[in-house]
Amino acid sequence: MSQNNGHASQSSDGFIVVDGNELSFREGETVLQAAQRAGIEIPTLCYDERLTPAGACRMCLVEVEGSRLMQPSCAYKASPGLVVRTQTPRVERNRQFILSLHLADNVQDRDEAEDNNPSRLHALAEDYGTLGAWPRVERQRQERPEDTNPFIEFRADRCIACSLCTRYCDQVEAVSAITLAGRGAHTTISTADRLSLTDTTCELCGGCIDVCPTGAMTEKQALAYGKPERELEKVRTTCNFCGVGCQLDLNVDRQANRVVKVTSPPPGTTVNDGNLCVKGRFANDFVHHEERLTDPLIRGEDGQLHPATWDEALDRVVQGLQGVAERHGDDALAFISSSRCTGEENYLFQKMARAAFRTQNVHQCAAT
Amino acid sequence: MTNSIPEIRDADFLFVTGSNTTEAHPIIAMEMKRAVGRGAKLAVADPRAIWLTEIADWHMQLKPGSDVWLLNAMAHVILEEGLESRDWIEANTENFDSVVETVKRYPPEEAEKVTGVPAETIRQVARAYATTPKAGIYYTLGITEHTTGTDNVYALSNLVLMTGHLGVRSAGMNPLRGQNNVQGANDAGATPVFYPGYQRAEDPAVRDKFSRAWGVEQNPNPGLNLNDMMKAMGDGRLRGLYLMGEDIVISEPNVERVEEALNHMEFVVVQDIFFNESCRWADVVLPAACFAEKDGVFTNSDRRVQRVRKGVEPPGQARADWQILAEVMRRSGLEQPDYQDPGEVYAELASLAPKFGGISYQRLDTEGGLQWPVETPDAPSTEFLHKGGVLRGKGLFQAVEYRPPFESADPEYPLVLSTGRTLYHYNAATQTRRSEGLSQKQPESFVEIHPGNAFKMGVEDGQLVDVVSRRGRVRCRAMVSRQVRRGSIWMPFHFPESKTNYLTTDAGDAVTGTGEYKVCAARIEPVLEDAPRQVFPGSYASARS
Repeated sequence: MSQNNGHASQSSDGFIVVDGNELSFREGETVLQAAQRAGIEIPTLCYDERLTPAGACRMCLVEVEGSRLMQPSCAYKASPGLVVRTQTPRVERNRQFILSLHLADNVQDRDEAEDNNPSRLHALAEDYGTLGAWPRVERQRQERPEDTNPFIEFRADRCIACSLCTRYCDQVEAVSAITLAGRGAHTTISTADRLSLTDTTCELCGGCIDVCPTGAMTEKQALAYGKPERELEKVRTTCNFCGVGCQLDLNVDRQANRVVKVTSPPPGTTVNDGNLCVKGRFANDFVHHEERLTDPLIRGEDGQLHPATWDEALDRVVQGLQGVAERHGDDALAFISSSRCTGEENYLFQKMARAAFRTQNVHQCAAT
Repeated sequence: MTNSIPEIRDADFLFVTGSNTTEAHPIIAMEMKRAVGRGAKLAVADPRAIWLTEIADWHMQLKPGSDVWLLNAMAHVILEEGLESRDWIEANTENFDSVVETVKRYPPEEAEKVTGVPAETIRQVARAYATTPKAGIYYTLGITEHTTGTDNVYALSNLVLMTGHLGVRSAGMNPLRGQNNVQGANDAGATPVFYPGYQRAEDPAVRDKFSRAWGVEQNPNPGLNLNDMMKAMGDGRLRGLYLMGEDIVISEPNVERVEEALNHMEFVVVQDIFFNESCRWADVVLPAACFAEKDGVFTNSDRRVQRVRKGVEPPGQARADWQILAEVMRRSGLEQPDYQDPGEVYAELASLAPKFGGISYQRLDTEGGLQWPVETPDAPSTEFLHKGGVLRGKGLFQAVEYRPPFESADPEYPLVLSTGRTLYHYNAATQTRRSEGLSQKQPESFVEIHPGNAFKMGVEDGQLVDVVSRRGRVRCRAMVSRQVRRGSIWMPFHFPESKTNYLTTDAGDAVTGTGEYKVCAARIEPVLEDAPRQVFPGSYASARS
């Protein structure tokens, strides 16, 4: 992220061999991390670099020399001289087996599965193949239809119980609002007493949506809008609320000129490390709100504000301000800008005060 | 911030004071949670039992406005026990002796009487802070929104300087900026004391530079800061006002006086995305584009300049602020470039402010974000400040003495009111109140009150009450909660139908003019009508009742 990052050292604590390539690793790193750093792809479903590995999905199993069983590379620590194979028939067959297994308990059709969020499960099935379509497992995961929270929808028929969402809720947001509940094929995502998320400790950050590999956790409003994420254009920008400067992607429907939803860039790429809060992710209704100002307004003789053209309004602004300056002097004017506006706008604003209206009375709103 | 946000996760000691981080800066709070999960120690100094106190090793629940006593007492312990960093002080600071003398008069046992924080806790936190190399201080408006705000900051920086926790990764002094572009607005010179890039307006050479650059002789009269502006509006020194994206009628302290002053304005321009409260006084209202509808940069709390990109077209005739301003300037007769896009404006800013001289849209688009100072096109981003020595040459110790807040509790107004933000709304809430979901989660204003006080006053959880100060009266719901100290009450300021700033005082800090939003005397009167009680389920404060 930045060049003088003290942690970006090249130090190595030894070497492992992956598919015949010697890879360096650092103390504490897993096989998966060392492989990913070297650009060797190992598919995962329940892995996220921000979370402690669960080893739950079995997608990342690899062969480790000296071990009879295949090992989950997300949890298996690298050690000097370790020999790993990621592309043997046995490893590949396991991946196809796992994908078939999950798909039997999921929405089969990729288009239907991706009616809102993209599904890593279905993408991996296309990339790695399956062992064929298996008989459908009868759906047994409990839903929470009574959950009236405004933002987050849980669709049990897409859940693979990978626990990414519950681990994220525990470890990153640290509010532990959702939990795995039930056993076996009944395992589902629930809340205490199956309460609506708004009545729990949930802070509605929506991180569960971003980490979900199958779209089981999804945005209610975007779902109602009815256009899949892949048909939206992502525009990378900076959040307009607090001072953290989170990077976010506006998901834009170009034809409709509409921001449909906001998603987070992947972890490890920006200052917010894949995270967003409730405001950054969900508080964007204001953009297209019907109360937005759409026309310049000028106060008339009748004391009311009336719509006007830009020409009229801008001339009135200049006349009004210059009139005050002529009557009372330049320093009878004051200019207050917004720390919500851009740097360029604040630059132009103070330039306007100092050069066009010749006063130092200019301050931004966050001064107090 | 002297450090960067990603450094927080690697800190070994976090001192969070006057910052309700999980609600005001949730993503920074995630980094703090990550550090604590890794084993870092966390000390919180805050009059409220905020969420972070759940995972904190120490919570110093001080009385509002007693910060200087607490911080000086921590300095007292550090010096008394010889934990200061002598070599670092010698090499990097000046005026140390003045602090040594002053803090002698602030023993923890006395501090306990004034602040309410046990002396032993003060000792433990001071020791842990001084002896942990990667120790960072994080603060926000709980420190600065006081008549002693500047003193509070000096008292904090004395701790930093005496322990040498500066210029090191994950160790420093970190004010968390409350708004997306507070840093950027200051950087751009939207302040009476600085031209762009912190070039002093009082310096004739600086004014000459900008007189030449802009082709207009610069006014040598010192400008008014925001707090002074509000007062100058009242006494007739100001007659014309241009507001861009700021609703002074909800955001400024002692609103009633602001409203009265606005009546005397001869000409008011309001430029905003919504019809705000200040528009009632406007002669002209200009419709602006919101962040999703324009290009530009925001600069975040860790000096990171990042791009804002246009995703959609603005509604109706609305235009981007930069386009409007350029047009006003042109029509006023100022000769200036015909800006085609904000990138050209940024280039002009960068050419006049050396700190940003190496920053361009091209670099931002390829490198993602750059932390200033970046003085040349090949200079790297600056992760943390004061590396290899204090920037100004020598870190200046500033001894500060405790001064009580402008108002204290008395028999007529027996409670101390502090104000702040919640997770679900933002400032004047022109944006968040228009989110149906957020309004569902937090529909109306409330006042947090300790069960002990509530019981005595006959106030029940969820009941309507009037909060009254010397300046005004505001109606809202009572939230009976142990999140506040006994004797303290707390209100958010997001709700226009319940304007908290009718209550607050406009007494300001002597140096910055920042209003004392965190301390004013108030009382609570139950509203005796049959309005149904309404409690707020699922909020952290209500869970602590």
